Amino acid sequence: MAILGGMAASIQLTVPGTLRYRNIAVRVVAEAARLVSGSVQRDPTDLLDHDVRDPFDLAVVSAFMEIFNNVAIHAYKRKDGGLIDISITVAERELTIEIKDHGQAFDLEGVAPLPTELDESTLPEGGMGIHIAKTMLDEVTYEPGPPNLWRLRKRLPAKQVAVGTSGRS
Amino acid sequence: MATPYDIENIGTESNLKVRGSLDINTAPALAEEIDRIIAAKPTKVVCDLSGLDLIDSSGVAALVKLYKGVRSTGGAIQIIGARDQPLAIFKLLRMDKVFNL
Repeated sequence: MAILGGMAASIQLTVPGTLRYRNIAVRVVAEAARLVSGSVQRDPTDLLDHDVRDPFDLAVVSAFMEIFNNVAIHAYKRKDGGLIDISITVAERELTIEIKDHGQAFDLEGVAPLPTELDESTLPEGGMGIHIAKTMLDEVTYEPGPPNLWRLRKRLPAKQVAVGTSGRS
Repeated sequence: MATPYDIENIGTESNLKVRGSLDINTAPALAEEIDRIIAAKPTKVVCDLSGLDLIDSSGVAALVKLYKGVRSTGGAIQIIGARDQPLAIFKLLRMDKVFNL
């Protein structure tokens, strides 16, 4: 799929830094992911359809949801007043998302890893969000601010070629 | 925001169907229902995720709470029907084997 004649396209979105606006941001990110993956929404007329079956879309949306949650909860403490600036760069085979906030910095190094041996007794009830984001994406970086900056990057795997290019019809 | 679940209680058994998106905005309502389910000490709970399209870590936490709570009171729990993004998340977190998905 050609992105603006081969050039990367930039999408800017600013939303209030509360969970009330999360779904708006998630929908924009899901659509941006589809531009890279070439996937088609199951039912574009159904605004309540959370359709992220494509592996690329699934990874991007899953990771973004966790980082948005993190900003709203940890940076802005679930309070109104802050903004989240989201910059999405859509390239031929890659999606980059920058998420900027002016809240409290997050201690990324302080996130405990998941238990190595998982069974009924060690099932975690928290601390999974960063693990999901890091595992789903090719790159997750965080620069404490102000402003604090999360940078997320996902490349389209070689075997998953976007619609309109060779290898997938 | 619509509550993304239906609950059916038959005797000491509960059937819970979760649908749509189970996330940081919708999980708190389900967590309250889970508290009620656990308090009733059911002998068996079936949690059907076939209608669930999307989940985040808050949603996973709610289901872990259900699983642990039912098991801790001696009940049996089956989590069935996970697909697409929710199944991918459970696999990533290695919970698919614990939940026998």
